[in-house]
Amino acid sequence: MMTGMERFGALLTGVPADRVPIACNLLDQGARELGVPLKEYYSRGELVAEGQLRLREKYGYDSLMGMFYSALEAEMLGCRNIVYADDGPPNVGHLVINTPRDIENLCLPEDLEGHPRFRELVTCLGILKRESAGRWPVLGVVTASFTLPAMLMGIGPWMELFLCGDPLLRDRLLELCSQFCSHQIMALREAGADLIVYVNPVASATFITTQKFRELALPWVSRDLEKPGSQGVIFFNGGGRINPILADLKQHTGIGAYYLNPFDDIAEARAILGPEAIIAGAINDIRLIDWTPQEIDREVERIMRAGKQGGGFIFGTLLMPFSIPERNIRALMDAAIRHGNC
Amino acid sequence: MTEVPTVHGILDDYLKALFDTDKAGALRIVQQALDSGITPESVIFEVVVPGMEQMVGGMISLDTLITLSQHFLASQIAEEVTDRLIPLFASVPEVQGSVVIGTSHGDFHGLGKKIVIGCLRARMFQVTDLGINVAPELFIETALAQKAEVIGISSMMVHTATGPRGPKRVRELMLQQGLEEKLRLVVGGAPYRFHDNLFREVGADAWADTAANAPAVVARLVQEVRS
Repeated sequence: MMTGMERFGALLTGVPADRVPIACNLLDQGARELGVPLKEYYSRGELVAEGQLRLREKYGYDSLMGMFYSALEAEMLGCRNIVYADDGPPNVGHLVINTPRDIENLCLPEDLEGHPRFRELVTCLGILKRESAGRWPVLGVVTASFTLPAMLMGIGPWMELFLCGDPLLRDRLLELCSQFCSHQIMALREAGADLIVYVNPVASATFITTQKFRELALPWVSRDLEKPGSQGVIFFNGGGRINPILADLKQHTGIGAYYLNPFDDIAEARAILGPEAIIAGAINDIRLIDWTPQEIDREVERIMRAGKQGGGFIFGTLLMPFSIPERNIRALMDAAIRHGNC
Repeated sequence: MTEVPTVHGILDDYLKALFDTDKAGALRIVQQALDSGITPESVIFEVVVPGMEQMVGGMISLDTLITLSQHFLASQIAEEVTDRLIPLFASVPEVQGSVVIGTSHGDFHGLGKKIVIGCLRARMFQVTDLGINVAPELFIETALAQKAEVIGISSMMVHTATGPRGPKRVRELMLQQGLEEKLRLVVGGAPYRFHDNLFREVGADAWADTAANAPAVVARLVQEVRS
């Protein structure tokens, strides 16, 4: 039987794998495994790493998530209040940018690696890398420069700025966010991430038109990846549809792997990207809250059938809600292993 | 002789500006329409509202995905123009109903709510915006103070849609305080789009799948309360 790393490696080299690799994005569930509140869980990299290792061991998927929560990046850029829940991901409770002057005054952390929250993340990645011992790829996660401002100023004000605001102000903010994104990618790799999940929902076709994507977002994808390079980068939909922007991404960015939205058609994505690209097909994981095992099985089979038509394919989830019952996570994994056999 | 623009032609131009997310262009078209002698009522009800509803409802073209930025701008312009032009109406427009709206407790995502508010205000609903991260008790208190018929709760995340301090708690409070006949509860947001029965599970009377549908759904609920 192959390891997760061998399965992912097989995709990259084009050799046959024993089954389709499975990426199951369980995050907050790690706290439940350890029996600690979410706030305590996310306070220390050791705890998050332990939670991730236990989750992977329990369910048997093929990767390890080296991520806390999205709002962590806002914390590193000055967010002073993270709001924790008992049953879901932490939220940004303080916006770093409220006025144009806040953009003018925004500074990147001088020493990212020395930032206390980033140090915890680095600790987590280091443990995952060590404990994986080359058996499962460790995923590092970054927010793209075009999406990060939504966490700093709120999505409404960000949309207003990039659609009809001062272009100089917009570009200053994007420039800072892009530098932050590039730096993070390199630092996450240094800390042990084998693959980088590049999250960019605001650039997706759910948020902006293809024309605006080409005009405003695409140049910043290229800029984010200019220094760190696009090797091992997975473009993650983050909840938005990406099929309409795949052709441009493929042509201009050098990214080789795309993580689709559940509402993106897998066959259409394959037709756009061709056989060389790696595609991750995602299940609508909100439905896992109350689907029966039979319904889960049918949906997994449908996704696998579409994905296995040709080219490298990963079976994935979005960001699994906390309220999905354990039995349904097991049903998902059983179905993915059964239908993913090659 | 200068040709007087038709409302139909203005609507086409307005839709094009919305489609291109060109706010300045859309506002210019509105001003030109007013300057050409078209009444504020016609500008609102024959250009701005249909423009917003066609854009936000995704009815521009069957094969074109309408994006959130287009929804956002269409609704924002509609709200702005409506606020500006209502005082210029020949007679005070009839208020269609009163709605108290906010995001659920623990939810800091206000975009969907903002789009819905624009749609409701342009359709002459009185809207009280409680903002983001709203306690369930505040929804009830404000609805009673405002004599609202409908409470609207927007949630972007599954746990804030289904959690004990979200719409479920508002429903419990409505039951405890005997407000079932006086108030209706409507929900919206991403989790409901991924799961079409979720609104019932959180105790809502209805949900709107798009912001453009919100006025019709709210109007139906207002009617239920008033009848």
